[in-house]
Parts: sequence; C-alpha cells; structure tokens
Amino acid sequence: MSGVDVPEREGTPRPSPAARVRHYLPFATGGLQSLLRYRSTFVTTGVTAAAGAAVTVFLWRAVYAGSPPGGGPGGFTPEGITTYLLMAQVLQVLHANRVDDEVAAEVYRGDVAVMLVRPVSYPVVRFFACLPVVAANAVLVGVPVLALFALIVPLTVPRPVDVALFLVSTALSVLLAFLVNLLTGMTGFVTTNTWGVRMVKQSVVAFFAGQLVPLALMPGPLAAVASALPFRGMVDGPLTLLLGRYDGVAGAADVLARQIGWAAGLTLLGAVLWRASLSRLEVLGG
Amino acid sequence: MIVAENLVKEFRLTERKPGLVGSLSTLFTREHRIVRAVDGVSFTIPAGSKTAYIGANGAGKSTTIKMLTGIMTPTGGRCLVRGIEPYRHRQANARSIGVVFGQRSQLWWDLSVPDSFRILRRIYDVPDPVYRRNLALYRDLLDIDALGTTPVRQLSLGQRMRAEIAASLLHDPAVVFWDEPTIGLDMVLKDAVRHLVNHVHRELGTTVVLTSHDIADIAAICDSALVVDRGRVVHQGSIRDLLRTAERRSVVFDHRGGPDPGHACARIEQELPGVSASPAEDGRIKVDYPVDRFTSRQVLAFLLERFDLADCYAPEPDLEDVLRRIYAGGSRSPLAAGVAGPGQGGAA
Repeated sequence: MSGVDVPEREGTPRPSPAARVRHYLPFATGGLQSLLRYRSTFVTTGVTAAAGAAVTVFLWRAVYAGSPPGGGPGGFTPEGITTYLLMAQVLQVLHANRVDDEVAAEVYRGDVAVMLVRPVSYPVVRFFACLPVVAANAVLVGVPVLALFALIVPLTVPRPVDVALFLVSTALSVLLAFLVNLLTGMTGFVTTNTWGVRMVKQSVVAFFAGQLVPLALMPGPLAAVASALPFRGMVDGPLTLLLGRYDGVAGAADVLARQIGWAAGLTLLGAVLWRASLSRLEVLGG
Repeated sequence: MIVAENLVKEFRLTERKPGLVGSLSTLFTREHRIVRAVDGVSFTIPAGSKTAYIGANGAGKSTTIKMLTGIMTPTGGRCLVRGIEPYRHRQANARSIGVVFGQRSQLWWDLSVPDSFRILRRIYDVPDPVYRRNLALYRDLLDIDALGTTPVRQLSLGQRMRAEIAASLLHDPAVVFWDEPTIGLDMVLKDAVRHLVNHVHRELGTTVVLTSHDIADIAAICDSALVVDRGRVVHQGSIRDLLRTAERRSVVFDHRGGPDPGHACARIEQELPGVSASPAEDGRIKVDYPVDRFTSRQVLAFLLERFDLADCYAPEPDLEDVLRRIYAGGSRSPLAAGVAGPGQGGAA
C-alpha cells in the first residue's frame, strides 16, 4: 500500500517545516521529563562506560608501551590510541539512544497502535524522543568520563579545526546510530525475538564501527568490509577527523560524505520498510 | 459521515517455532493460518450520530475500529471517515478523530496527566480558549484535577481511564472512537463519562462511535446501533429498531380485588396461548408475550376486560436479551460466537 504516512488530504495545505517541528518538539521535552525521573540510570551508564573505557585503554596502552617514537601499529602513538579508544567509548554512550529497545517493545506489545492514532509520523517521533536521551548521556555520562580519564592518562590534544570537524561528524554519527537502531527495532514486525537481533546488532556495530579495534589495525580484507558498511561512520569516521588522520580537505570531505550518504540511504530504507510494515500491521486483541 | 464498503480484514497468523533459531527461521520459511476477522462489512454512520458498535467477543469490532482510525489497512473493500480513507491519509484523519482504547494507554507513562495534556495540546494545535474550556469541563465533570502530578503509571485504572477519555476529547475531534471506554470506572464515574460525551455531542455535534460490553453505556449514550456478528453486520438502525426485533415483550400490571396473583397468572396463560405470566415485585404481575402472536394492544385489551387494573405499563424490551439472542444466533452456542470466521448472521 502506498502513502500510509505522508500525503495530506487534498485541499489541506501541507504544514510548514517550522509547524512540523513544533508538533514534534513536545516529544523531546516530554522525553526529557520522563528521563529526569530516572536519574540513577545515568550513574549506571557512567560506571559501565568508565569501566569499559578503563579495560580497553589500559590493555592497549600496554600493547603500545614499547612502540617507537614515530608511532606503533596503525601509526598510532600511545596517546593517540588512548584518545581513540576513550572517545570511541564516549561515542558509544551517545549512540545508546534506546530507540531499538523502545521500537521493538512497542511493535511487539502492539502499543505502536496508540502512536498511530496521533497526527504524527512514528519514526520522526522516535527521533525527537531520543534527542534528550542523547543529550543527557553526553552531558551526564560522556563529559564526566572524558574528564576523569583526561586526569589520569595522557591524551592527544587535537587541532581546533579537527575538533570542529569531529563535532559535525559526531552529529552525523548520532543520526546514523538512530537509523541503525530504528531498523533494528523494526525487526519486531517480523520476529518476536528482537532481543537476539539487538544483541547481534550490538556486536556487529561495536566491531565494524571500529569501537573495539580501530579499522587501521584490522587485516586488509576485514578493513575493506568494515569500510563498505555504514557502521564505520559511527566511530571510525568521527575519530579519523578528531585525530587528524585524514589527507587534506578531500580526505575530510570523504569521511563526511560517506556519513551523509549512509544517513540518506538508511533514511530511505527506513521509510520504505516502515511503510511496508504499516500496511501489513496486524494488531490483535484489545 | 463514516462509510464502510465491503470491508474485509484477514490476519495471517504466523505459526512460529520456538527459540531464536525458530524466530530467525520464520524470516525464510513461514506457515500461515488465515483468520478473517472482518468479513465484508458495509455500513453508513451519519455525521453527528452516536452509534454503538455492538458484537460478541471476537466479532471484529476492534479490528474495524483500527481500520477506521487508520492503524490497519483493510485486506479488501474500503472505509471512509469524513471523506478520506484513514489508512491512506492517516495523519490527516488523526487530526479530526479522538480515540480511546480501553486496553491500551495513550498517555505518557512516566508523566503526569497535566503534562500529557500539555503535549497533546501542542501536537494537535489546540487553541488556548478551547484548551481552557475543555480543562474546565473535565474539572467539573471528571474531577480531573484530583489526579494531580502523579505519573500515569501510578494511577489506578479508573483514574487513568478518566484521563484517557479527557485526552481523546481535548482537541475537539469531529469523530470519537471509544473502544471499551468505561473499563474500571465505578457507577458515579460512568455516569460522569456518559454525561460528558452527551454534553460534547450536544455542543459540538461530535460523531460518536462506541464499543462496549456495558449495556448501560450503550443505552445512556447511543441513539443508533450497528450489530456485528462473526465479522458481518446483522443489524443497523436506531436502538429503538433494534429493540423492536425482540421476540418477546412484556406488560406489567397491578390489579384490585379479583383472583390472587397465582390464580391470575394461571388464568392468563390458559386463555392466551404462548404467553407466560409470573408474579413480579409488589404483588404485580408480569406478562411475557411473543410479538409474532400478539400485539401489546391485544394483551392490554385482554387484561382490561378481565381485571380491575390499578396500574399498567409496557417496559422497553431488554437490550441485553435482544443482543444475547443475536450473539447466540446461527450456531446457538455462546462459545462458538467468539470464534472469528465466516458465518451467517443470526438475526431473526
């Protein structure tokens, strides 16, 4: 079936983009209000992220301890690899937007029906609702973890232009993480075991994004596979820019262009699959 | 106006295998069983009417409501709400409808009721005067302020349903679909809800479509009825017409002097074949007669002739009896009526 979501009634003017955003902002503020009722979540996330960072950081620092001054494997200095792994952990916190859990649960329980009686697009609602989660994770978990490690281990100080590029790239990585999690959650339409799918997704993303091992250290064929996947733009992309590991303007543009391309592609895929899922949605009971 | 034309919804129920491997295997191989929940339903609900959508469990009521609200796409046929197909233009339709699903909450689980209302107000662009007027109405009729700042998940079912009902009306929808709206409400609140919907209908001409198993809801709110049985429409018309399909009606009377109630009953049953008479409270006598053999006029004439009547009235037929007979029709088995599938209507 076509046109489940977007077409408006003939004769009704399409709302302006500003009006559309206005209809969705309450989902962001409402989400923030809900979040603030569960403050302890952030402590848990923070401890988990700090522990994860500690394990990888100290492990890899040992690997790079005897590396020559020009840089060890993959051309990383000990500070460079530390910064990479720490920031990878921070990025992972930003990507923990809960969208996969919530979409899967709402599809599974049929609560998605309730969202569909409102004059809004469900995927867009989910996007706005995850913004406060991402922001809160960044402020309450990401920044403290980063500050903590900056005190105890030496880190690379990036150039201002690289920081700027990193911030843009990070915003794109947050969008990619949303899209990947949305698609993961939508598997709830075809399987009841979304927990398994989410576990698989988590491992695949952690590995192919370069969160566990930088892509530069992967064997050739594996690195080629990782480069061809969208997950690269979630960790490897932003950190390539942050650490200045790119070749001039063209190199930086390439990283961002890949991210934008994948964001567009996954948005399209999500929209197509969402419509297909809706037209065959079956909410039984109640 | 709401129109359904030959509306069909079939569900493909996947026979799933257990476990993760089983779930993944359903991605590749699937075995289906097809269940026809709505079987060629056609009806017209005029704008501004208050219609009860009535049927036994599994009769396809909720499925039809879900197609009318745009949540599900029909397998066949089509439906129109105010001239648009809801599942094709879901968001446009959603602006002009209000929905209550008694089984599911549409409030924000972690937020208070006032916070949920503030969000809804923004989503639906409710103008300030309308918002204030409606909140005042809910305050008066539903005592909505008593819910305070408690998060919705901590409210009792009755408290939550009050908020759900108010939320469905907040944006002055042209059509409201209420699916089991009075679940968990006590008598006082049920009355309040009935009063509220009747008030809104009177003021705004709202079209009301209600499903309920509470006959009192139907009687207090609705003026017309749409009865479905096993996915098919078996009656459509006013509640009055529905009551006229009753096979038996009754006359209750009180008399002075003459025979005692026991003798009087025996005499009536003897002289009017097919009629049953039984003593009612306060020494009255209730006469049940089959409508295909007698009119109430004939029964009354008989009683006037034989007894010195002190009081006499003919109550409305019992809606519950009428529905029970419709539900049980066809197969005669009340359990079979709960199975969705093709079947013929059983209205006599």
